[in-house]
Amino acid sequence: MSEPLRGVPAAPGVASAPPWLPPTSGGGVLRPEVSLGEAASRAAAELAGLRTRLVTAGRPEEAEIFGAQALMAEDPELLDGAEALVAEGKPPDEAILAAGESAAETLASLDDEVLSARAADVRDVAARIARILRGEEPPRLERRSIAVALDLPPSVTAELDPALLAGIALEAGSRTAHAAILSRALGIPAVVGVPGLLAAAETATEIAVDGGAGEVYLDPDGATSEEIGRRLGEATRRAAVDAGLRDRRLQTADGHRLMLGANIGRPDEAARAIEAGAEGVGLFRTEFMFMGRATPPDEATQTAAYAKVLAEFGERPVVIRLIDLGGDKDLPYLPLPPEENPFLGVRALRLADAGHEALILTQLRAILAAGEKTGRQPWIMAPMVADLVDVYRLHELVSMAAFGKLWTVQPRVGIMVEVPSVAMIAELVAPEVAFFSIGTNDLTQYLLASDRTNPVLAARQDPLHPAVLRTIMRVIEGGHESGIPVAVCGEMAGDPVGAMALAGLDIDELSMDAGAFGAVKRAVGAVSLGELREAAHHAMHLERASEARAVFDRILAEATSPT
Amino acid sequence: MAESVVEVRNPSGLHARPAAVFVKAAGGFSADIRVVNLTRNPDKSVAAKSVLGVLGLGVATGHSIRISAEGSDADDAVRSLVELVESGLGEPIDP
Repeated sequence: MSEPLRGVPAAPGVASAPPWLPPTSGGGVLRPEVSLGEAASRAAAELAGLRTRLVTAGRPEEAEIFGAQALMAEDPELLDGAEALVAEGKPPDEAILAAGESAAETLASLDDEVLSARAADVRDVAARIARILRGEEPPRLERRSIAVALDLPPSVTAELDPALLAGIALEAGSRTAHAAILSRALGIPAVVGVPGLLAAAETATEIAVDGGAGEVYLDPDGATSEEIGRRLGEATRRAAVDAGLRDRRLQTADGHRLMLGANIGRPDEAARAIEAGAEGVGLFRTEFMFMGRATPPDEATQTAAYAKVLAEFGERPVVIRLIDLGGDKDLPYLPLPPEENPFLGVRALRLADAGHEALILTQLRAILAAGEKTGRQPWIMAPMVADLVDVYRLHELVSMAAFGKLWTVQPRVGIMVEVPSVAMIAELVAPEVAFFSIGTNDLTQYLLASDRTNPVLAARQDPLHPAVLRTIMRVIEGGHESGIPVAVCGEMAGDPVGAMALAGLDIDELSMDAGAFGAVKRAVGAVSLGELREAAHHAMHLERASEARAVFDRILAEATSPT
Repeated sequence: MAESVVEVRNPSGLHARPAAVFVKAAGGFSADIRVVNLTRNPDKSVAAKSVLGVLGLGVATGHSIRISAEGSDADDAVRSLVELVESGLGEPIDP
């Protein structure tokens, strides 16, 4: 079997077809009778047409990409910039490309992922105007193909015949690039950010992409083609099963129920989580409001964001995590001395005792106010809690934030279990808090003393390590002794094998990105609670995480094999 | 000349869609309208009728922007744009 090129999985699905490279220039010549202004209006009209096409196809969200592009095409700043270059003697097509590039660089320099992605949109608009000035036709597919490019502009992605566009492989790009968003919306398998793709694909006659695994195969050999065929069948079968799973609960084969939570990082992700079947929010990360600004967000701004999520989820619980900021974030309003080990340093709750109590109190007051405003009980979760001293300090801070007002809605106050010391004393801490939520990513890195940002140590980062499994079991037992719910909100919960192990350890709730719901429901739902418990206890006695994975893979294969 | 300061409360700031709504509204006035993001960079001023200019301000939720206008309908332009931003630019926000 041939070795794949690896990239970022952008849109799931498997496809194999000959590669198609978009032409860099259609070979047209400048038509002096078309003015820059006319070309811009025509580009705007084409883009408005694409927008209408996506709206009619039931894709209003994605359609707005083109609504914004149509506006960019007639942007005075862009056109004035190009006209100025024409006045200096540049041909109009080169002038608009240069003006587009300069506007794109401004957006890319803003250090904001969403706006950086818009930089590609501006270049795309400028290229469209230049194409019209040269009298060239938009690129077209002649046969079923996989588009291979450095980056694929959104308008090209949407203009290509969806019946012929089998897949997308890009050397550049991220999951939030418009090509990636559109390919997910259109159901086209896509892998982005594949280093070395263009050089390798130059001579290829056939290319296969696995958008779920993030793999690209060039000129697949016999065995690889067979494997691709098998994955294609599997993907088709899964898509059918996932659609049927949406309305099913997260439960084991014998009907033991677990709560299914969503991890969200922005208020506008709440709707998608509800749509996917979330029974609550197990982790609402609040850092998004605090990044890229000169001053911290005020109480009213924060209250609005929290209230939006509380209101949308209604009766369903929403766990809001207090800010997990530290020296690694470099925020102008949070001047912290440089540290040797920022992940072991002054961060999160520890900020309260390092001169930044007001920052934490403002966030707590905003959460209380959001609860009051919506009439919904907020669940407050503190990260980086190491012992009972921290727990009492947390309660003190909540009381200080609540002081002076009569609240009709009381919050539930719980902790994120990620520091090994608090896991070791779980049964002492449980009576003092309303819930535990295990952050398996940090718990694993702290427990195994291996930096999770170091790729060389990546293999040591598996939460199925027997030491991590035993620690998780301790925390769950400690919580249950006092009758409080225990959840996992780390990546382990969204990994089908990790979810099976956690179900076997009697976890109450799994919280993950909504995209993982189907795969986790399928894995946990295939096996009975008894079998999962047995496998989890077996896994705790093995030498390494990979052996534990093999145990769960085997029982899953046995349970789902068509016998 | 008229000017006013307003805070943007949209959850993801003045990103593609709200920025488009803002720019289209600004385009309806004859006045020369400028915008500054006071929170990020008080020295950079852009044309309110340019979507690239407005996006380039990098306005996130909670940022304050200053809208100023010069021309026959300047007062009207500033007042309407401030009201539009306060109402959420077509997105649901909390007051």
